[in-house]
Amino acid sequence: MAVPYKVADIGLAAWGRRTIDIAENEMPGLMYLREKYGPRQILAGANIGVCMSVTIQTAVLVETLVALGARVRLCSSNPMSSQDHAAAALVAAGLPTFAWKGETVEEFKWCINQTINFGKERQMNMIMDDGGELTATTMKNNPNIWEGIRGISEETATGIHRLEKLSRSGELKIPAINVNYSVTKSKFDNLYGCRESLVDGIKRATDIMVAGKVAVVAGFGDVGKGCAQSLRAFGARVIVTEVDPIAALQAAMEGYKVTTMTEAVKEGHIFVTATGCINIIKEEHLLKMKPMAVLCNIGHFDVEVDWKYIKDNCEIEQIKNNCDLCTLPNGNKVVVLGKGRVVNLTCAQGHPSFVMSTSFTNQVLAQIELWTKTFPPGVHLLSRIQDEEVARCHLHKLGISLDTLSLEQAEYINVDRNGPYKPDYYRY
Amino acid sequence: MSQAMPHFPKIGPENDNGESSEPPPPVPKSLRAAQPPTPQDQGRHLQRLGHSDGGKASYRREKWRSRSLSISSNVSSSGSVSSRSSFSSDSGSSDEDEDAKFDPREREQVNSAGQSDFCVRNIKLATFGRREIEIAQEEMSALILLRTKLSTEKSLEGARILLCTHITAQSAVLMETLLACGAKIRVCSCNIHSTQNEVAAALAEGGVSIYAWKNMTEKAFWWCIDQCVAGDFPAPGSLGAEVDNKNLWANMILDDGGDLTHHLYKNYPDKFNSITGIVEENIAGIHRLYQMSRQGKLPAPVMNVNDSVTKTKFDNFYASRESVTDAIKRSTDCMIGGKLVVILGYGEVGKGCAAAFQGIGCNVMVTEVDPICAIQAAMQGFRIVRLEDVVHHADIVVTCTGNKNVVTRDHMNKLKKGCILANMGHSSVEIDVSSLATNELRWERIRSQVHHIHWPDGKYIVLLAKGGLANHNCSSIPSFVISVTATTQALALIELYKAPPTRYKADVYLLPKKMDEYVAQLHLTVFNAHLTELTREQAAFLNINRTGPFKSQHYKY
Repeated sequence: MAVPYKVADIGLAAWGRRTIDIAENEMPGLMYLREKYGPRQILAGANIGVCMSVTIQTAVLVETLVALGARVRLCSSNPMSSQDHAAAALVAAGLPTFAWKGETVEEFKWCINQTINFGKERQMNMIMDDGGELTATTMKNNPNIWEGIRGISEETATGIHRLEKLSRSGELKIPAINVNYSVTKSKFDNLYGCRESLVDGIKRATDIMVAGKVAVVAGFGDVGKGCAQSLRAFGARVIVTEVDPIAALQAAMEGYKVTTMTEAVKEGHIFVTATGCINIIKEEHLLKMKPMAVLCNIGHFDVEVDWKYIKDNCEIEQIKNNCDLCTLPNGNKVVVLGKGRVVNLTCAQGHPSFVMSTSFTNQVLAQIELWTKTFPPGVHLLSRIQDEEVARCHLHKLGISLDTLSLEQAEYINVDRNGPYKPDYYRY
Repeated sequence: MSQAMPHFPKIGPENDNGESSEPPPPVPKSLRAAQPPTPQDQGRHLQRLGHSDGGKASYRREKWRSRSLSISSNVSSSGSVSSRSSFSSDSGSSDEDEDAKFDPREREQVNSAGQSDFCVRNIKLATFGRREIEIAQEEMSALILLRTKLSTEKSLEGARILLCTHITAQSAVLMETLLACGAKIRVCSCNIHSTQNEVAAALAEGGVSIYAWKNMTEKAFWWCIDQCVAGDFPAPGSLGAEVDNKNLWANMILDDGGDLTHHLYKNYPDKFNSITGIVEENIAGIHRLYQMSRQGKLPAPVMNVNDSVTKTKFDNFYASRESVTDAIKRSTDCMIGGKLVVILGYGEVGKGCAAAFQGIGCNVMVTEVDPICAIQAAMQGFRIVRLEDVVHHADIVVTCTGNKNVVTRDHMNKLKKGCILANMGHSSVEIDVSSLATNELRWERIRSQVHHIHWPDGKYIVLLAKGGLANHNCSSIPSFVISVTATTQALALIELYKAPPTRYKADVYLLPKKMDEYVAQLHLTVFNAHLTELTREQAAFLNINRTGPFKSQHYKY
């Protein structure tokens, strides 16, 4: 039977497959789950609609779901982030995939609809989302399918906000698992992933020297922390902007100047938005930036940099793919990466595989939980012991030898020898 | 752009996004030692600023300074620390205090107003103490800012607070803040070694009923607590205490370690039951309170300051980062860069210690039982090992696990000559020091808080503070970090005192997030940091209040 799909170039499949093989070696958590749950086909009967950036790492993720017995349809959560060779390889392996780099808004929506529609013989009954687009579209446009959804696992802060809003208003009648709040996701993917991939994106797009520059990071959450750390490691002087006083104090204690964007534009050469909020860099900032300042966003949605203003008011000259020189009405020029879309995926290859393995192991565990157990409606978290299990299956790759508690020591701190080792409110 | 005065947060169901209703799950069982802990175990806040004890300490310090300049460049990791004149460590838990010979209880003292409801080493030290307090105030501008705002409102008018904490210049700033807000206080120390006598004198001179002196005996320690809780608060206008008048009993407790709370509970049950709020900042005290809560014995709500964001993320982490290498330097003068350092435990304290050693150029390894913390350490470039595998090569070993016997006699037998062994955990059981009390080992006191323990074959190790908390005993904790905790305590007290009766039950609560954020905001002025404000639209997008709380309960910072 022909696999329904739409990708950029099916001819890239062989290259995609070779890259996937390499990635599997860097993703010990997912490979461990295949070994543990594959034989019993724990996800048999699950028809999972997956909406995530279609990357090599996502390919290893969805193939893990398949190895566990699920059927999967896949589209991208971001029109600019797909890796076409990954998409091609998945199609060649028989997985319905609808994604390519450079989708228009209409094409993006079409891909989502293809994912929702599993065909005549089966219906989507699980959702794996990254940002909540698949969830929102199913709820709005496909109410009969929405009724049959058993559970949702959501990857990112933005999607979680949306789910929590639905939960508070009583509209969320199914359980969802918030994967973002697993320690092995938020403190790894968001922090270490961005620490490696931000400068990667900036470098590939601009080849700029980072040392000696003044870099402005808007937001000092997990993502902002990672960004600031790597920019400083390269030798930039980093300025942070924040609304949250606790995060601001953390930034100050790390030696970063904390000030407002209005002040920061006077000094900054490189700007990175990492707030998860809207309208961080606006017209008033753009007009006052230093000439040729480099501007990018690493938040999930393209709402942090006012690209609409730029599109409507600036002369835009493409320097290379995803790198535009924008001349503002007052003659000032700025370099904008990825049109304000998430820079590590648009200008680079996203997060490295290892850190995606910790996130995705959480995603698969969440799907297994939702598929095999009953939860009340609402947004739930994975347990601490599952978090620790995710960490455990990555130790070997890093050559880590863990110590063990003696019986006496376990009793002394009142924990089980096998974990969980920390109370729920522990912040790592 | 000038910094606007931060607004004191209103806490309530309409504003706090449901922060304060659920008590967190029980804290792990006490990290107290198997044997009764010495008050040193619980000590944390210790700061010596400037001069103390009149001129003597400054003379001793100058001698030390010139000595360390001449030998620091010659000191190798094998620890050629001189055993010449010992000096009192700046943290002040010296056992050669010149006043140790007599008991202050035998002395009648009055302050210049004729009041005598106190017991301190020497009231005449008050002037020096006042200088120390003024110096500390410079570093604690956040607390002063809070004082300025709240003293006009007299937020603690009618509060009668029993305080059991370290008596230092920093805690005096906290106490005087509470007084400025209209509270009345009775004070004792939570640690037999940590009182700064001159600060106690200054407080007594100011009319505070304080019972504390440095290097108390254990008996004196409990006597002081008893004086503090047994005595009543004087009625306004009256000169003496009135007994058994419930209106003059304490209604709030601020405790550090739980000894005062426990004493009140055991010996004065009526007084205990008229307490309307308790603030506890130490894990040992928190544990006891959780137990009482489970047994239904709490008379009032408790604020757990120990697990607030600002305490765990600032006090534990940054204090460790600043003070661990300081402690080693002050006690051994050794070159730290280039050494192989093993950090046991990668919690908040371990993270701070590892970062400090990494920053100074060490080769840092970490041991862990928790796989999440282990990977965090790996991602910072530290090798995760078992102590057994590296024990022969370590130059410096630092325990930060919160657990017991993580460094055993067997490990210590294998440590190399001159290895420095220090503990940064709050209890003194992480290193099995009692296993070193065997006949074939020879203990040699090099300086205050520094011992060489000699093995028969000539090897020796350098043990700091006999396994007690190294930064407490061998160095100091920066005022700024103490300011963060002290501000949290003050706000916790005010919150409990002013909250409507329906807001809290007799249970243990974490600080509402808005309070945590307010503490942080008060400290931003120190860095001239300017906070951005959310627009209405942005706040709606994130579904939060423009003035916070900005993050959910699960957020880990």
